[in-house]
Amino acid sequence: MATLNFMVGQEQGNVPVTVLRVEGDIDAATHKSLQDKAAEIIEAGSTHILLDLGGVNYMGSAGFRAIHAISNMLNDGDTPGTMKSTHLKLLNPTDAVARVIKTLGFDVYLDIYQDRGEAIKSF
Amino acid sequence: METTLTSTETRIETLRKCEFLQGLKDSVLSDLAAKAKMLNVARGKKIVTRGEDGSNMYFIISGNARVHHGEVVLANIGKGDVFGEMAVLDSGKRSASVTTESDTLLLSIERDVFYESLSTDPNAFKAVIHGVLQREREIIREVKTRSTKLMAYEKEMEIGRRIQAGFLPDSIPTMENWELASSFVAAREVAGDFYDVFKLNDLPHLAIVIGDVCDKGVGAALFMTLFRSLIRASSLYGNMCSGLVDAESGSVFITAGEVLQNSLLTTNRYIATTHAGSSMFASVFFALLDTESGELHYVNAGHESPIIFRQNGETELLDITGGVIGLFPAAQYAVETATLNKGDLIFAYTDGVNEAKNLQGEQFGESRIMEMTNPQDNSPDNFLSMVLEAVLEFRGEAGQSDDITMLALKYQSQTSTA
Repeated sequence: MATLNFMVGQEQGNVPVTVLRVEGDIDAATHKSLQDKAAEIIEAGSTHILLDLGGVNYMGSAGFRAIHAISNMLNDGDTPGTMKSTHLKLLNPTDAVARVIKTLGFDVYLDIYQDRGEAIKSF
Repeated sequence: METTLTSTETRIETLRKCEFLQGLKDSVLSDLAAKAKMLNVARGKKIVTRGEDGSNMYFIISGNARVHHGEVVLANIGKGDVFGEMAVLDSGKRSASVTTESDTLLLSIERDVFYESLSTDPNAFKAVIHGVLQREREIIREVKTRSTKLMAYEKEMEIGRRIQAGFLPDSIPTMENWELASSFVAAREVAGDFYDVFKLNDLPHLAIVIGDVCDKGVGAALFMTLFRSLIRASSLYGNMCSGLVDAESGSVFITAGEVLQNSLLTTNRYIATTHAGSSMFASVFFALLDTESGELHYVNAGHESPIIFRQNGETELLDITGGVIGLFPAAQYAVETATLNKGDLIFAYTDGVNEAKNLQGEQFGESRIMEMTNPQDNSPDNFLSMVLEAVLEFRGEAGQSDDITMLALKYQSQTSTA
């Protein structure tokens, strides 16, 4: 059965940023584990997450639903003054995932970075 | 791995627990117990392999094992269970594999030994046949229960499909100089595609909607009804309710672009706040057509780009102007404009078309639609049939995994004479 692998790192931007690297396909079978992992990180105190998608070759609609759920968990109680999440950003999606992000217009809702340093500084 | 440590009593007890040996006399059971071999098998060993010949049946004294087809586990078995008996009784191939889940102690009886022991008692065969049939009846009962459950599930699916079909328009408005065709081919599993075509109340425009709710199943079908109803209700009645249309004079203080924006902002905000926890979203292409001028105002919220096939052979893609709807309450949608001229055909579709896969896993793709021969020379009906045929031919033996929804609208090149 397909599973996701996670790597968690701590960085310091203007605020502390947790970098969550995901490896594997994010689909109907695996999206829950991503959501659970993020919930665990948020439970432990993280308020800003950079989701590193460099190891994800496929992301279906379930993956996008998981990302929305994570964004919801992070922005809990926040007043959205902007369309884009200030708590969740994406890093380095593969070409296949970037294509789907563009088709669904998810780049309208979330900032996407190619460079890790730049991404961390942006928080 | 052979051992003889277990007492004869334990062996006899183990055999007696087996349903189809229950009718045997003690003398036959003792004979079998004496001739049976004791096996001590370590965890993770495959004892029986599906498809292979087998001449032994096994009785579990202690430990656990799984009966499986590759990765799929059919049953978990343990102390007192028997396996491998079918191939012994009918000399056929093993119907499933069995692998130990823990260190397991087994009794193994070989086919010739089994029949030899039975032949010591004239009634033994009768007892075994009786026992086997008894088990057969239980299996039939189990299969019946399962198939009843499956039928109930199929019925649920059928209800879901009907909910979905009931929310597609019964009829499509007719307009002078315009020809419109729609096609909806439901996948076996309920999905969340929808389309809608209706005339606005306050403006002389024709509304055209095509959308796809994420995911599949009854949940997607239910959300489809919500998205579709909110878009229709807000664009038909929302303007009057918010004072943008004067009910008495009929004066309209709103443009087509604003109708689109208001409708999608309302729909998005409602679902993104009321149903925030469900994270359900839809991609939607929503257009308002001025049937007099051919001017088309549209919002593409994360949907596959509709294609305009111009009469002169050129093509134009109506790319996204915003993200999918239903997730982020503050989302904004830009309105764009395109103009349809006489002889032009516009084609909108859901991902059941471009993501249709053949057996090699290759996708039909947008480019195959773009490369269709002279769509603008066909009626919308013909064009949709051409696309559907091309998709079916491409897919070949591979099944349909998603709904296929298509709309085609053509500005007739000859003005019809009344």
